[in-house]
Amino acid sequence: MAPKSTEKSAATTAVTAPPPKDPKKETKDPEPELSEEDAALKERLDTCVSTLLSTETDVTTEIRLKSLDIIVDELRQATSSMTSVPKPLKFLRGHWLELKGYYNDGMLGEEDGADGVFLKARLGDVLAVLAMTMGDREERESLKFKLAASSDYKTLASLKDSRAVDDLGSWGHEFVRSLAGEIGQEYTARTLKGADPDDDEPFKDLLSMVDVIVPFHVAHHAEAEAIDLLIEVQRLKKILELKEGEGIDEKNYKRVCLYLVKTADFMSDPDDYAEILETAYELFLKQNQYHDALRIALKMGNEDAIPTLFEACPDKLMTRQMCLLLARQRINYTYEGEDEDELNEIIGNEKLSEEFLKVAQDLDVMDAKTPEDIYKSHLSETGGFSRRREGGVVVDSARANLASTYVNAFVNAGFGQDKLMTPDNDWLYKNKDHGMMAAAASLGLIQLWNVEEGLAQIDKFLYSSEEYVKAGAALAVGMLSSGVRNEADPTLALLEEHINGDSHIMKCASCTGLGIAYAGSAREDVMELLLPIVEQENSGPNTMLEVSLAGLALGMIYVGKCDDSVGGTIVQRLMEATDEELDHSHARFLVLGLGLLFLGRMEKSEAMLEAVRTIEHKISKFAVIVLETCAYAGSGNVLKVQEMLQHCAEHLEEDAEHQMAAVVGIALITMGEDVGAEMALRSFDHLLHYCELPIKRAIPLALGVLNISNPDFSVIDQLSRLSHDPDNEISQNAILAMGLTSAGTNNSRVAGLLRQLSDFYNKEAGHMFCVRIAQAMLHMSKGLMTLAPMHSDRLLTSGPSLGGVLVLIHSCLDLKTTLLDKTHYLLYYLTCAMNPRMLITVNEDLSWRPVTVRVGQAVETVGQAGKPKTITGFQTHTTPVLISTKERAELGTEEVLSVSNVLEGIVIIKDNPGYEAPEETK
Amino acid sequence: MGNVPPGMEGGPPANNKDKKDGEEDKPKKKRFEPRPRTTNRRRKRRTGPSGIARIPTVVPSSKCKLRLMKLERIKDFLLMEQEFIRNHEVYKPREERDQEEREKLEELRGSPMGVGTLEELIDDNHAIVSSSMGPEYYVNILSSVNQDLLEPGSSVLLHNKTMSVVGILEDDTDPMVSVMKVEKAPLESYGDIGGLEDQIQEIKEAVELPLAHPELYEDIGIKPPKGVILYGEPGTGKTLLAKAVANHTSATFLRVVGSELIQKYLGDGPKLVRELFRVADDLSPTIVFIDEIDAVGSKRYDSSSGGTREIQRTMLELLNQLDGFDERGDVKVIMATNKIESLDPALIRPGRIDRKIEFPLPDVKTKRHIFNIHTSKMTLGEDVDLEKFIMSKDDLSGADIKAVCTEAGMLALRERRMKVVQEDFVKAKEKALYRKKGNIPEGLYL
Repeated sequence: MAPKSTEKSAATTAVTAPPPKDPKKETKDPEPELSEEDAALKERLDTCVSTLLSTETDVTTEIRLKSLDIIVDELRQATSSMTSVPKPLKFLRGHWLELKGYYNDGMLGEEDGADGVFLKARLGDVLAVLAMTMGDREERESLKFKLAASSDYKTLASLKDSRAVDDLGSWGHEFVRSLAGEIGQEYTARTLKGADPDDDEPFKDLLSMVDVIVPFHVAHHAEAEAIDLLIEVQRLKKILELKEGEGIDEKNYKRVCLYLVKTADFMSDPDDYAEILETAYELFLKQNQYHDALRIALKMGNEDAIPTLFEACPDKLMTRQMCLLLARQRINYTYEGEDEDELNEIIGNEKLSEEFLKVAQDLDVMDAKTPEDIYKSHLSETGGFSRRREGGVVVDSARANLASTYVNAFVNAGFGQDKLMTPDNDWLYKNKDHGMMAAAASLGLIQLWNVEEGLAQIDKFLYSSEEYVKAGAALAVGMLSSGVRNEADPTLALLEEHINGDSHIMKCASCTGLGIAYAGSAREDVMELLLPIVEQENSGPNTMLEVSLAGLALGMIYVGKCDDSVGGTIVQRLMEATDEELDHSHARFLVLGLGLLFLGRMEKSEAMLEAVRTIEHKISKFAVIVLETCAYAGSGNVLKVQEMLQHCAEHLEEDAEHQMAAVVGIALITMGEDVGAEMALRSFDHLLHYCELPIKRAIPLALGVLNISNPDFSVIDQLSRLSHDPDNEISQNAILAMGLTSAGTNNSRVAGLLRQLSDFYNKEAGHMFCVRIAQAMLHMSKGLMTLAPMHSDRLLTSGPSLGGVLVLIHSCLDLKTTLLDKTHYLLYYLTCAMNPRMLITVNEDLSWRPVTVRVGQAVETVGQAGKPKTITGFQTHTTPVLISTKERAELGTEEVLSVSNVLEGIVIIKDNPGYEAPEETK
Repeated sequence: MGNVPPGMEGGPPANNKDKKDGEEDKPKKKRFEPRPRTTNRRRKRRTGPSGIARIPTVVPSSKCKLRLMKLERIKDFLLMEQEFIRNHEVYKPREERDQEEREKLEELRGSPMGVGTLEELIDDNHAIVSSSMGPEYYVNILSSVNQDLLEPGSSVLLHNKTMSVVGILEDDTDPMVSVMKVEKAPLESYGDIGGLEDQIQEIKEAVELPLAHPELYEDIGIKPPKGVILYGEPGTGKTLLAKAVANHTSATFLRVVGSELIQKYLGDGPKLVRELFRVADDLSPTIVFIDEIDAVGSKRYDSSSGGTREIQRTMLELLNQLDGFDERGDVKVIMATNKIESLDPALIRPGRIDRKIEFPLPDVKTKRHIFNIHTSKMTLGEDVDLEKFIMSKDDLSGADIKAVCTEAGMLALRERRMKVVQEDFVKAKEKALYRKKGNIPEGLYL
């Protein structure tokens, strides 16, 4: 087979890149000197052709057949370089028209019996090959001849002739490839003419050809081409029907599925998108890769597949691994069956805190850090006590304390100990009002995921006489159990009474607490609690705040679930609201709640969009864009990006909220897919160049969204430039965006930049607060956590994570009235986005088993030949290790096998049965 | 070309003038050695601040739908950018804005400006410059100056009062290298080569195909060859083939003769090699053709002569450029020599030169072809029987055949005939071969 393919590869290379000098040469000297062999070959071919075409009657079909055979052999045997046309093809060029005429004359037919048909079929084959270089490409002659030939072969088969073998592959790779291309064109041409693509009948001939080509491609490691062809003829499912042995097996399924998954991202039609992913899903299922199948199912948002998968999966380890994936994705699923207690515990993240603390101990970062450890003001040029302070500038100490509270909370998140809050209550009472609330709530973040111990600490504040402390405690209870299931469900039990209470601040806190605790869980009992708050009548200036926060919480809880009652209620409330209410600075969160409901669900949001359009208030424009961009988040849909850019084309100085949403929307739509994301960066450059202030203000945020927890050099550079912008809001947003892009990385470059900024802005309280928060994010959980919503090899987007980040982004759209005012506790929504960025390898019973792993920059390997490296510039570590965004890990030893193909989070490993210890060498 | 003393070449004029002004009254005792200039002046900072505006690279590189769709996505985005910019141009025309910005910049620059030389970069914002007046200043650099282009030794524009750097005078590449660039494609094409089919095919595969269709190689998972060496007896068409390559390709074609790389001053040869490959990289895809490589590439041996050592150093630089630490992108090297056995083995090891293409003396068939090529434009007498020459046993190279034909034509001219007859050819051949064998008449020792 091999030599033949090279022979043909010559032919089509010549088609794709015809040596431009060839025709000229021929006109110059039409009969170039031929070597003896060449001349002999030419003569042989000439005689064959003339015998074949001879009109004399004594030339029997048999003789014709023989001469045709010679031509066929010559064609197949010609070996030549990649750069020139094989000689037989060249020599037959002169006879092309004759042969074609002869074939079309109808002289050949069935009257000669099987021989005649065979001759015709054979000649059809030869013509198809010749047409590849000589035929009219518009006419797709090659395909035409091949189709005719294959129908002849069929007739032959019906005559029970032994020669009825239509061996497409024998003509070589390039022929098959060019044929596949023509099939695609022909298919499109026929559908354009009105053939129904769902009906197989009009394409029967083409499809029978496809049935031959696809196994051929797959057998020759050209999986990508096989898939391309099937996509062209919209019959992707056929790949599943391939026979045993020539179809997808354990060797190539990974490549095929990777290609499918990557291709799916670029499908503009939702049906095509779904079909590709479904195909990948079924391929994984066929190979018993239930974990991978689950990843695909989650990518599709198809949660109904989970029980089926669990049922189908016979492997206990695999089941556990799948539970771990569900836990990371924060899917509220209850497993039923064997070991259900244990498995539900995994899905409910109940052991998360324990594992996290173990990692922290292993990495030796248990010591609590104070805010001053983060600020490192002794390093800044002016020193801790700057000369400027002596200049009599009054430092807003309340704001500074508030910042310290947040820094302390974020930096020690999940560790269960800190230096401000846990030792005594002094710090709590150094704050006032909302500061107190934030301080009390910070306990929740410090005790993150550790429900039992955390509750014991917080409990006392829940009964405090101080309203704000109580509210903070309520919030803390919510954060504590963010993403963690607990049978007793203390959060709901504790917050239920407050939500229906009279106190405004308690209501706000409980709503937020519930939103954080149950994000993504779609719990109906929680919804029933919150719906009345959204529906409540306007009874004062504070109502709208409650309504908005409840709406936001509902959006978080039902993120991406498209729930009708939640959607209906929120949109109803928006429609009925007075102008005054909609003018409220927090109305945007009600809108965001609505958007989150449809996060990533694309066209499912359309009905809601229509409803939102009817609102008669300027917020309608804003709401439409927020809803649309949330729905298309991560889709990479170019048309939507275009729409957003068109929104930005207007030059507005005021009432430009929708433009800001559009800018953030571009980032949302393009995130998760590298090409679009990089191109979006370019668009932002233009926006920055041409547009008015409101749009410019949103650009740092958009850059942040595109690079969450991924401090890319050029982006940080851009943000650092923007952080010195004379416009306050641009610089504040840029500072926060720097925090977002570097969240949880401890990146020293960003740390240095932020220290400089803290120096630069030390007179401006607002900026200072932003810098502190950015520093808090940078050192989040001492670098053990990430905010990145993409996980599992950047395939899946976690709804609650993205939601949490979006809350921050939307607060930044109007910093003055949110984070820099009284609702700074919205920052705590980031809890939903926080996830440990560790890699732990465990045994079957989830006890640790350290192994060596290699961690390095992820490399895109889709569609590459052989076994390409998946990581580059790696270092070898022993688990547990930390993995940052855009990094990948692979096992560094052959001793063990991992259950999942993606090494992230907690990974179960087992002994490799085929492992042989290397023999001791001297 | 190639023999201009280095002091005159390339160097920033202000710099040299300045030096000479200062030294004019003193008699020149010391030989003037120019200050070594940093070699790769234009550092490639791909990940730098400008990285944000670059088009993403598309993987996989093999032809497939995924690649097509990725490229289409990029195109879509570019179209959107175009639409967006067009809309904004309408709002505020670019020219107007550019004008505004230019005026602002002019204001900052001030006028008149002075010209100076950048002596040293202190940090991102400060540098030491020497003005044409003589003294050196510690000045700051305006942020409007492109930092990437600033290199010690480059000429800069200075503000008239503060002397701060307000602009760069870009001097282009070393003129020595720019001369090497083949601007006008030679007339010889592949069609003008008699025979040598295998050689043409090899060189096409090794040089042209990797530049035009890199994906073919990636498909199969190999790295394309980096370079080829053409070797064979004199006059067998090595240079001709290289010309044909230059004629055929759309890539930049740089040609050098080995002897050009030998320079008068220490270090100039290696520098030229570096410069050559840097330019090749800048203009890539590029084909570099080094003729008569044995001038620099002969085997190394212990030598006390400084000249030989310098030549060897030049070769070492060449070795490094061919397969050294830095990745060469789309640069293919063709070398030609007629003494491959005298070349340093390191130079032609696989990895540097992957393909060795031999050019043998033409066989009968090829000889006929060559004769036909050369005689096709001549008016031949009826009695001319080229077969006789073709079948003779003499070692005729392609060049010899050309010489015979030309000589025959000359003889005919001398006798004022309009036709070339057989006799002319016979005489011409004798003459040509006589010359070739070096004063030993043919058949003397037979």
